[in-house]
Amino acid sequence: MSRLGILAINDEGFAFDPQSGESFTLNKTALCILKGLKDNKDIKEITAMITENFDISYEEEVEKDLSDFIEHLRIYQLI
Amino acid sequence: MKEIIIGLSGINAIDNPGPGVGVARSLKEDKSLNVKIVGLAYDAMEPGIYLDWLIDKSFILPYPSGKNEAFIERLLYIKESYGLDFIIPNLDAELPLYIKYADVLEKNGIKTFLPDITQFRLRGKDKLKEVAEKIKINLPETLVVTSYEEFLRGIETFGFPLMVKGSFYKAYKAYTAQEAIYHFNHIVAEWGYPIIIQKVVAGEEMNVVAVGDGEGNSLGSVCIKKMWVTSLGKIWTGVTIKNEKMLTAVENFIREYKWKGPFELECIMVGNEVYLIEINPRFPAWSHFATGVGINLAANIIKKSYDLEFDEKPDYEAGKLFVRYTYELITDMKTFQNIVTKGES
Repeated sequence: MSRLGILAINDEGFAFDPQSGESFTLNKTALCILKGLKDNKDIKEITAMITENFDISYEEEVEKDLSDFIEHLRIYQLI
Repeated sequence: MKEIIIGLSGINAIDNPGPGVGVARSLKEDKSLNVKIVGLAYDAMEPGIYLDWLIDKSFILPYPSGKNEAFIERLLYIKESYGLDFIIPNLDAELPLYIKYADVLEKNGIKTFLPDITQFRLRGKDKLKEVAEKIKINLPETLVVTSYEEFLRGIETFGFPLMVKGSFYKAYKAYTAQEAIYHFNHIVAEWGYPIIIQKVVAGEEMNVVAVGDGEGNSLGSVCIKKMWVTSLGKIWTGVTIKNEKMLTAVENFIREYKWKGPFELECIMVGNEVYLIEINPRFPAWSHFATGVGINLAANIIKKSYDLEFDEKPDYEAGKLFVRYTYELITDMKTFQNIVTKGES
């Protein structure tokens, strides 16, 4: 299982990795993305979640930022 | 249930805390046990002596580095004058003595729960390579040297920074050859050879406390990450984790070496890799953390030794926090006077 898969995330945006003991604080957007990734949603689906939840119309830009964020998760070895 | 009088050393709950007070708390908190705790102290200022809700009576012991006979005689005096059924030694320096005299103590009605001397030697840093391979855990690149020439060749090959360590005690980080040579001379003068050169592994500090039953089975283990340490490197805040690699290594260690007694594995985690740094053949000072999350290892030792029932497959939750704090006790001089004048509280 990936690290993201075992990450315990609460609704306030606190994420805890029970294997390493590392913890992360997430803002609302990051929380939405991580929950989407945990539910195995793809980039298109998560983009749709963000645009809907945060009332954003620039879908292309959201998708670009989302790809950038996912790269950061890779750097943190979370995915 | 019959009262069991348990002697605990390491009741020096100071800035570099001994494990004894945490072990005493664990034993007192198990309400299925009927225990009295005897503090085995080396100094009248050891705070455990004054914590009378945890430690019922304390005695000053001669140093274990002195005459063995005097040490054992003191324990037998405690047995005779107050009662002493069991001893959990909590300090490295006294363990060889307790291991050597375990049979003598047993014959005199004092039980222990300790590794044998061969197992005990596994904690030597010159043995860690063999142990790490056997229990399937990484070891930072390591070289064991027994001469100055070998040491110089070693530090040239390793590059800097590197760790210079004694086999049992002392570990220093060196950034230059001069520093490394200074530490080398210092350790050799105090502790002798061998000297261990080790590559520095930078990552998160993770520890496990566990107990082996001497037959290859575990009496429980708890894995933690240090979140905050003091300037002496002692844990101040920590969190329980469930790191499969570390917990498997612990199970392997207990099974492969049939380890008997408590121990601590100190490791560093880098990404997903876990590196073994040290084996401590006793409870760590934070062992009450395990009790707090439901695994009372000290009580399990007593229950195993007296054939009492206990949970043989204990489990705990990851994400439980340990916060150490300071506290002061105000008391009168009576206990201090007794311990100084009579050697017992």
